[in-house]
Amino acid sequence: MQKYSVFSLIKNALTNHQNWDVVWRDPEPKKEYEAIIIGGGGHGLATAFYLAKYYNMKNIAILEKGWIGGGNVARNTTILRSNYMHDANSLFYDHGMQMWKDLSQELNYNVMYSPRGILNLAHSDAQLNAYARRGNSMRLNGIDVSLIGREEVKKMIPFADFTSNARFPIFGGLLQPIGGTARHDAVAWGYARAADDMGVDIIQHCEVNGFDIENGKLTGVQTSRGNIKTKKVGLCVAGSTSLLAEKLNMNLPMEAHVLQACVSEPVKPLLDGVVTFGAGHFYCSQSDKGEMVMGGDLDGYNSYAQRGNLPTIQHVLTEGVALFPNLSRLKILRTWGGVMDMSMDGSPIIDKTHIEGVYLNCGWCYGGFKATPVSGLTFAHTIANDTPHDLSIPFRLDRFNTGHLLDEKGLGTKTWIS
Amino acid sequence: MLEIRCPYCGNRSQNEFAYGGDATIKRPELNTEVTDQEWDNFVYYRKNPRGNHLELWHHISGCRQWFKVHRNTATHEILKTLEMKENL
Amino acid sequence: MSQDFRINNCGLINRDKEIIFIFNGKKYTGYKGDTLASALLANGIHLIARSFKYHRPRGIIAAGVEDANGKVQLYKNDTTEPNVNVTEVELVEGLRIESQNCWPSVSFDVGAINNLLNRFFPAGFYYKTFMWPKSFWYKVYEPFIRKAAGMGKASLDPDPDRYEHRYEHCDILVVGSGPSGISSALAAAKNGAQVILAEDKPRFGGSLLTDNITIGNKNGDEWVNDAIAELRSMPNVIVRGRSQVFGYYDHNMLVMFERCKDHLGNPEIFTPRQRLWYIRAKQVIISTGSIERPLVFGNNDRPGIMLASSAKEYLKIYGVLVGKKPIIFTNNDTAYETAIEFKNKGIDSIVVDTREASNAGIVNEAKKLGIEIKFSHAIANTSGYKKVSSATIGKLNKTKDGFESLSELKCDCICVSGNWTPTVHLASQSGNKLKYDSNLDTFLPDQSRQEETVIGSANGTFTLKKSLEEGFNTGFKLSNEITNNNNRVPIPISDEKEYGEHDKFWCMPLPDKKHYKRFVDFQNDVAVSDIQLAVREGFRSIEHVKRYTTLGMATDQGKTSNLNGLQLVSDIEKKIVPEVGHTTFRPPYTSVTIGTIIGREVGKNYRATRKSPIHNWHEKNNGVFVDAGLWLRPRYYKQGDETLHEASKREALNVRKNVGVCDVTSLGKIDIKGKDSAEFLNRVYTNAFLKLPVGKARYGVMLREDGMVFDDGTTTRISENHFHMTTTTAQAANVLSHLEYYLQIVWPELDVNVTSTTEQWAGAAIAGPKSRLLLGKLFPNEDVSTEGLPFMGYREFKFKNTIARVFRISFSGELAYEINIMSDFGEMMWEEIVKAGQEFNIQAYGTEALSTLRIEMGHVAGSEIDGRTIAYDLSLEGMLSKKKDFIGKRSLSRQAFMNEGREKIVGVVPLDKKTSIPEGSYIVKDPNAKLPNPKLGHVSASCWSVEYDNPFSLAIIKDGKNKKGEKLYAVSPLKNKTIPVEIVSQHYVDPEGKRVRS
Repeated sequence: MQKYSVFSLIKNALTNHQNWDVVWRDPEPKKEYEAIIIGGGGHGLATAFYLAKYYNMKNIAILEKGWIGGGNVARNTTILRSNYMHDANSLFYDHGMQMWKDLSQELNYNVMYSPRGILNLAHSDAQLNAYARRGNSMRLNGIDVSLIGREEVKKMIPFADFTSNARFPIFGGLLQPIGGTARHDAVAWGYARAADDMGVDIIQHCEVNGFDIENGKLTGVQTSRGNIKTKKVGLCVAGSTSLLAEKLNMNLPMEAHVLQACVSEPVKPLLDGVVTFGAGHFYCSQSDKGEMVMGGDLDGYNSYAQRGNLPTIQHVLTEGVALFPNLSRLKILRTWGGVMDMSMDGSPIIDKTHIEGVYLNCGWCYGGFKATPVSGLTFAHTIANDTPHDLSIPFRLDRFNTGHLLDEKGLGTKTWIS
Repeated sequence: MLEIRCPYCGNRSQNEFAYGGDATIKRPELNTEVTDQEWDNFVYYRKNPRGNHLELWHHISGCRQWFKVHRNTATHEILKTLEMKENL
Repeated sequence: MSQDFRINNCGLINRDKEIIFIFNGKKYTGYKGDTLASALLANGIHLIARSFKYHRPRGIIAAGVEDANGKVQLYKNDTTEPNVNVTEVELVEGLRIESQNCWPSVSFDVGAINNLLNRFFPAGFYYKTFMWPKSFWYKVYEPFIRKAAGMGKASLDPDPDRYEHRYEHCDILVVGSGPSGISSALAAAKNGAQVILAEDKPRFGGSLLTDNITIGNKNGDEWVNDAIAELRSMPNVIVRGRSQVFGYYDHNMLVMFERCKDHLGNPEIFTPRQRLWYIRAKQVIISTGSIERPLVFGNNDRPGIMLASSAKEYLKIYGVLVGKKPIIFTNNDTAYETAIEFKNKGIDSIVVDTREASNAGIVNEAKKLGIEIKFSHAIANTSGYKKVSSATIGKLNKTKDGFESLSELKCDCICVSGNWTPTVHLASQSGNKLKYDSNLDTFLPDQSRQEETVIGSANGTFTLKKSLEEGFNTGFKLSNEITNNNNRVPIPISDEKEYGEHDKFWCMPLPDKKHYKRFVDFQNDVAVSDIQLAVREGFRSIEHVKRYTTLGMATDQGKTSNLNGLQLVSDIEKKIVPEVGHTTFRPPYTSVTIGTIIGREVGKNYRATRKSPIHNWHEKNNGVFVDAGLWLRPRYYKQGDETLHEASKREALNVRKNVGVCDVTSLGKIDIKGKDSAEFLNRVYTNAFLKLPVGKARYGVMLREDGMVFDDGTTTRISENHFHMTTTTAQAANVLSHLEYYLQIVWPELDVNVTSTTEQWAGAAIAGPKSRLLLGKLFPNEDVSTEGLPFMGYREFKFKNTIARVFRISFSGELAYEINIMSDFGEMMWEEIVKAGQEFNIQAYGTEALSTLRIEMGHVAGSEIDGRTIAYDLSLEGMLSKKKDFIGKRSLSRQAFMNEGREKIVGVVPLDKKTSIPEGSYIVKDPNAKLPNPKLGHVSASCWSVEYDNPFSLAIIKDGKNKKGEKLYAVSPLKNKTIPVEIVSQHYVDPEGKRVRS
């Protein structure tokens, strides 16, 4: 692989950038692979990368029905955090946070990991106490986080509504300093380039239409570009998981919902870290380009359309202005939607299935982006060893039977309520 | 914003309604033997189709009736709305 | 400078009204009817802004929303707004604008060093570097990049303006008032349809205002004025200018913003700044016209280089010459109109045309006028740092991949035309899969998915005659389907110039050994070389190219650049354009002010505030309020300098000693009637309700189907088939929906009706050993003895002229009653209670004392019933009937729920009896254990026990059943606290429950 660095950049500048290699090949599918990953999103690309890197599987293909990095990794609000209450979640996501630190170097691709902090605002003492429960749990798990008061919040975001006009005044917040953002496209491309370098075939515009199963064992997949033999297949198709599962005669504890996000026009630096509003569901950060990146509730009905409707955006922005009254005079530049795998307890599923050789990675709800490295790592482990990684044991599918649920919000099975 | 025909009130905008999810799941009868799998299917497992979906909506800012909507999850097109006692 | 570029006897502006504005600290004048752009150009100002990445000098390139460069910081009165398009702001008094993204000034910008170094900053350079040393990205490089990012500055102040929403239904919404839009609106309106005609610009007419045409015997603007006047006079038509339809959503819901205020010199005080329209239309006619494409050539971004049609618009509408020595550079015939308009005003231009020839009528007319035309020529490069001053032009070779000769041509502006792009955004948002038209080199609408029809140049119809036909015919046809009327309007005769074929060549070659930047996306500085690099590196999908290069991602969202970009990708890849595809058109079509989207739900109006009918009394008596969902509840009543802690202690202690009164209006109340009500409740609650006697209340617990505790409360049998249910404040709405779900869907055979009566009843809890005495005084004629009104009893007592519902129920654990009365009497009742209670030392108590009382009694509330606990965890397993089935029961046999060592609620007391345990602490065995330190459970609620005068907490901990008496630690690392504690019973006070029964 051609090494990226400031030196290679200067060298190539002198030859007018004519000599850069392609970032990844565009191979024809082979007849057989050791393992196939379906879905060229962040998780699929990361899984293939770690399979090749740590589990010595080189004859791997990623099959992507469209263009890689085009699903939810292209549509999220790029937030990284591990501020969860349940041990299973916080330990899992925090392992991911540690992986983010080294990812640019590991991939030789600047994914712009940026720990500028994530601040969850509280609007009552009761909410501060609920955050204390979460924060203490994190601290006991060794994760840095602190509870800060109204005055400290005011220093960080002085333009938030600290007047008596605020409907829900700010009491304080939970601050995870290591939280932040990364450049979403770069994550997909960095993993793709590094995986390709290790021999992984990235095959775009190749849709999986069916599975070949003999005696409960996987033998291959049927694709729009022909049948391909394989003994292992990993599904990394958040947003379409139920559709592929149907081809395996599986129902899943999951619904597809559309989540919208929007950006404002770029403005000079205003907000450094990520801030969430506690009296509703609104989160906001400012991109390196200067756009305010904002999101909130689901549109609230099953949907596979990557489009939403305006009332949800109206609702999200109403909360945004309740928090930051000065946002009112900014302009929204673009809105978009992505399809979420909303699992019935709000936590992901990483597991084998009843079909030998078929593995599931799904149910990320709206939290999948930050998990990209750790999801790839643990899923690669699961595929390679046919047994879960220690970190992903709690994310097995059978928890919906045993009752070991991971419900951070306590809302139960109404996935559309956020 | 979706426009939904409440079978009792007529066409109204979506913001008068609350969503209720899959309308095809049926609660097992009370006081009957139910296997774990049947129960889990009722509580957690969903068909989740891309395409036509029979689902529940609740006219909470209206007549407060629950009813069924046959809607395409890929296009959001509503094919039909039905009272609870009606079937497709 | 005083409008040196304004010419007389031309344009639609009002020259009697001169308006002063300030640009970068200097005063200029324009006229009423100008935009900031036209006024700047009238003063000869082209350098307006700096580009995003290279800080190159930039000027206005268009006259409408498609402009990519002319963004400024706008100041008016005390407000400011970033990234304002000078082409969209109407000139009024008091405007001050400043160039943005430049320092110290737009003419000398230090950031322009980026331009000198641009070879080191190709597309995506940041992905390839800034990786070493490791932490330098976020410690050094990124902060630096972030500082440089953004364009204008956001205001830090709240927005002083107000915004409104309006909802409309109509038969036909017509978007755009060009020839096809106006004619379709006329045809539909005259055929009886309810029509809304929306136009983005302040002036109606679109191309009719600038094209040299006639309709009937009128010129364009006369015909437009008459048609708009006629439409405005019709009661079935709404005509709105300054109104941008920006989103086409599901079920034919379109959204439009109307600019109501900023263009007014002296707006009235309540004039909203903008109004958002939600329009549900039966049919939508999209007549949004088309946008001219730039040509791509060396240094094609200099100030003074603009679209030919825009130059014509500045001339014809505003009487402004964009230059006095123009070059017209085109690959098609439409730009010749601009040359002719210049000629008519005495300005000689040179036309540089990439085509070998054209025989179109308009070209011949230009020739006749003596306009110099250079066919087979192209511009290779331009010069002039702050404004274009010359062009290097050359004869194209046969294959058009190089120049045969080059020469310099002086100029002060270049008007370019690379043909036209239909504005298909709304159709695409609606779900229309676009098709590529290889004759027009553009995407056109294909099959409609919703009820939309695209006409005029948005549909690729580029002649006036056909646009009018499409307009009148479509307007008639769609209205006829709705109204069944048959009133057809005759299509007027029109006259227009004749145009021929355009050249499919639009990206000029570079002269040998030259590496001029040829820009495709101006604002984001995306050049041909960037797109070539992206494709060379393997970013083949148009979405990859867009994301890698940032093509089309600037504030203009690629209105002038997208098609050129994807044509370029298809040329490089040697594919046809439809194979490359296009990026998705997302709403909004143009950027929309956030305040407009929100409307009136700002400040205190963000959410409704619910107040009990007793609220005024609480206010008058120094109640300090707390938000409980939407409700405002008194948290405590402050006396003197008391703190929250002191006041709540005093209030709680008074309940334990004497009697207190608490406003419990916000509790959810549901009236349940029907002959199967008892059976229904028996299924909803985990405990038995069938045999609840009339006149008795019972505490009940309900579960979700997944087995988690959902809510609790008391339900009272008022008569055989009539029950009164109470819920927690938080779950009131959810419980009602839950009940309706089961009644309407699961058990429709049950004869039960439910309705919320929360607002109907005001509620006061009177609690404490003296509460019976107080009750007796309030109702002197009633039997309030423990026989007359036993524990969990219910009576209706006459109170003044109404009936009070009296429940002997208790949350505080003391002898207590809850009195409900019709809301209108709430305040009166409360005052009577307080008056009667004086002799018993009554005090009002707030939610904080209420919490204290319930915590030390070990009663669970919202912090325990958090949607993640089962009945066992809360020691409510005794409430689970073994004899009957109920909602959620089947889930309780899950393995994890049966686990012997499961969490259970306990009481926690600090060993020193002094240190309060913060809520959200955890109970651990060893506070110094290695992290992750295993947790036994968490502290859900804490109080200062007024009974024992020491801290007491509730916790839910693993194997809580067997932990009583154990010495453990409560830790709150967040608050740096480690507190040795003893585990005790959750029922700290009166564990036998004697007091409530006394």
